[in-house]
Amino acid sequence: MASPSVRRLFFAAAVAFALAGAASPALAALRVVASTPDVADIAAKIGGDRVSVVTIAEGSQDPHKVPVKPSFVTKLNRADALVVQGLYLEHAFIPALLEAARNPDIMPGAKGYIDASLYVQPLEVPTSQNRTQGELHPLGNPHFNLDPEQSKPMARAIAEGLERIDPAGAASYREGLARFDALADQKIQELARIAAPLRGVKAVSYHQDLVYLARRYGIDLVGTIEVKPGIPATPGHLQELLETMKQQKVQLVIHEISYDPGLGASLAEKTGARVATVSAMAGGLGQPGYFESIQADLEALVTALHGEPKGD
Amino acid sequence: MRFAFDREGPAAAVAFLIGAFLIGVPSIPSRADAATEAERLREELAATKEQLSKTQGELDATRSALDALTRRVDAMEAAQPAAAQPPAPAPPPVVAAVPPAPPPAETTARLAPVNADNPAISFVVDTELAQDTHSSWESIGYPNGIDFSLQNGELFLSAPVDPFVRAYASINGTSKEGFNIEEAAIVTTALPGNLTVKGGRFFADFGRLPHWHDEGLPFVDRPPSIDRIIGGESTSEGLEVSWLAPIEQFIQLTGGIYNTVGAENLDNLNSDGFFGRRNFDELNMLGRAQTYFDLTDTVNLELGASWLGIPADSNRNLYAGDVTFRHQPGTQGFYQGLVWGTEWLWNDQRFRTRDDTGATIDTTRLQRQGGYTYVEAFFARRFSAGMRFDYSQSPNEQTDLANTVSAFLTWMPSEFQRLRFQFDDSWGHEQTNQRFTLQWTAFIGSHSHGFAQR
Repeated sequence: MASPSVRRLFFAAAVAFALAGAASPALAALRVVASTPDVADIAAKIGGDRVSVVTIAEGSQDPHKVPVKPSFVTKLNRADALVVQGLYLEHAFIPALLEAARNPDIMPGAKGYIDASLYVQPLEVPTSQNRTQGELHPLGNPHFNLDPEQSKPMARAIAEGLERIDPAGAASYREGLARFDALADQKIQELARIAAPLRGVKAVSYHQDLVYLARRYGIDLVGTIEVKPGIPATPGHLQELLETMKQQKVQLVIHEISYDPGLGASLAEKTGARVATVSAMAGGLGQPGYFESIQADLEALVTALHGEPKGD
Repeated sequence: MRFAFDREGPAAAVAFLIGAFLIGVPSIPSRADAATEAERLREELAATKEQLSKTQGELDATRSALDALTRRVDAMEAAQPAAAQPPAPAPPPVVAAVPPAPPPAETTARLAPVNADNPAISFVVDTELAQDTHSSWESIGYPNGIDFSLQNGELFLSAPVDPFVRAYASINGTSKEGFNIEEAAIVTTALPGNLTVKGGRFFADFGRLPHWHDEGLPFVDRPPSIDRIIGGESTSEGLEVSWLAPIEQFIQLTGGIYNTVGAENLDNLNSDGFFGRRNFDELNMLGRAQTYFDLTDTVNLELGASWLGIPADSNRNLYAGDVTFRHQPGTQGFYQGLVWGTEWLWNDQRFRTRDDTGATIDTTRLQRQGGYTYVEAFFARRFSAGMRFDYSQSPNEQTDLANTVSAFLTWMPSEFQRLRFQFDDSWGHEQTNQRFTLQWTAFIGSHSHGFAQR
């Protein structure tokens, strides 16, 4: 005869099964887990009422340091789809979570794994790679979300992915995509107007994560505070960067909110540049929407350029 | 009819020939002319490419529009007969939003085909310099004097086998213990009911730190209490089944059956001439339950309870509880979070005393315990510092007791290189010992952050 402790264990398991069974029918919407707030917002806009989206990373976090929490495991375990930004941006947390989530339907290559980078043409694809070059992403720079033009190929990949796992909602997702594309066209124009003063402005950033933003709006990035991607600054590198900033008359030090503000502020102090704080993912500056977050970034840059007080 | 040529006469013919020569016969250019010409051709080529690109874009747009119109016509045709036959079909999209599937060339290459079938391979070099002030504590692995050592040279291989299982191996060499296959296991990936089965040689899911690889530990050593009571890592050969509750709350249950658990236990048995066959009730059985709570957005708590037993004559019952508290504020200032981890083990075990022939002449049952608690705080992206207290009784010596207080400081110049300094002060039934250790660790090859050693 089973001991009381064993009986309690079986009872707990039975309750868990019952709860799971009872919970499933009530949640008719497609359960979508998004790795970043950016792809979460795009998926929600396309999916509308047909999807319920939860996000893993927060906008202010360094994607390399997103905590691997067991509470994310249970969300992934029950998810119908996982949307990732892709190009290995999420290598520090998604593989570990998937390892524990026991959901073959959302593993890479499966129907429910939606890679938003599918139609993006990446920049900075390494022609050769080893770690003397820092922590390079082998498929190219993954921070394409900061170029609003890239939202359209991202949206296309997401819409196709949602349609793939929920064919009954195909018309809805296509309408959602059409609405999103129209919104993107409008926002792209608005953002270009806001960013107009940034063309030709010389700047440095902390990490190599602003190349798409810089290319879109004509910002001239002359260096990074990190020695190489993922490699923290050394005194020698900072001295070199300081000289470069002085020679090239760098106007802006761009501080990504997920990194330490101290070094950027110090460089700005020594060179007379101004500091602007931006977020490399949506929501870091308090604007949860994808386009709204880029707008907040651009406004922060323009505001800093026009001579608002230094600092964050 | 007469040609104008004839009408204009020889002068016109000469003029025509000169013109044809000037236009049609290539001149002999100077170097400067050649450069100018090359520049002009380059510009022309660029302009032609741009024109081609525009034309391609226009062609794509036209194709999209054509497809859109085709779909709308199809939808309208489908709608007409359906008007009298409810239910009506879904309305056509306002605009044919999704363009036709792109040709493969439109997507980015995602795999280097040469390596597509290779497993993920990584190697860890974990080396250290240690000095002890007194010759004592051999029982918790503190040799006398100063020495350099390769703590770990660990090769790790992992890959999916097929759609149903993956396999991995960890092959380890050290200065003190030689070469060893630490783990070689097969793990299911597609069982229904949230079940996972693991078989082979692997670290049994007992407690928290016992199944961490050495290089993943927050300290330079495994806590002495675990080293002594479990016998190093929870190395085992057997079968393990775990289940994740399909609910929002994280609950994971694990059951396992093994020959032995603990690297040293297996080594000791083998050196005594043990060949691994035994009765079913002499196998090691394991049960573990684990759960997790997000107390706030930045504070969380993880709880675990484990049991390991040998049912025959209640030869062994080992119980453990573990608590892990984390503050993960996600801020990027100097302070970046902390972990407080505690684990306690209670061991109730029967030991045999044998004569020269191997016959049991006496049995003793001992109840012993031990555990550790530590705090590690993280600073400025690449630094961490912490303190640990460990209390450990030897499982097979009634009077053996060791207390160890440790302080450790870690610096990671990059994500793949780590330097760590640790100071240990040990006291108990032996003479007090101080130990200084400098550890230097490098990680090469495949890079992924595992869930178990988070």
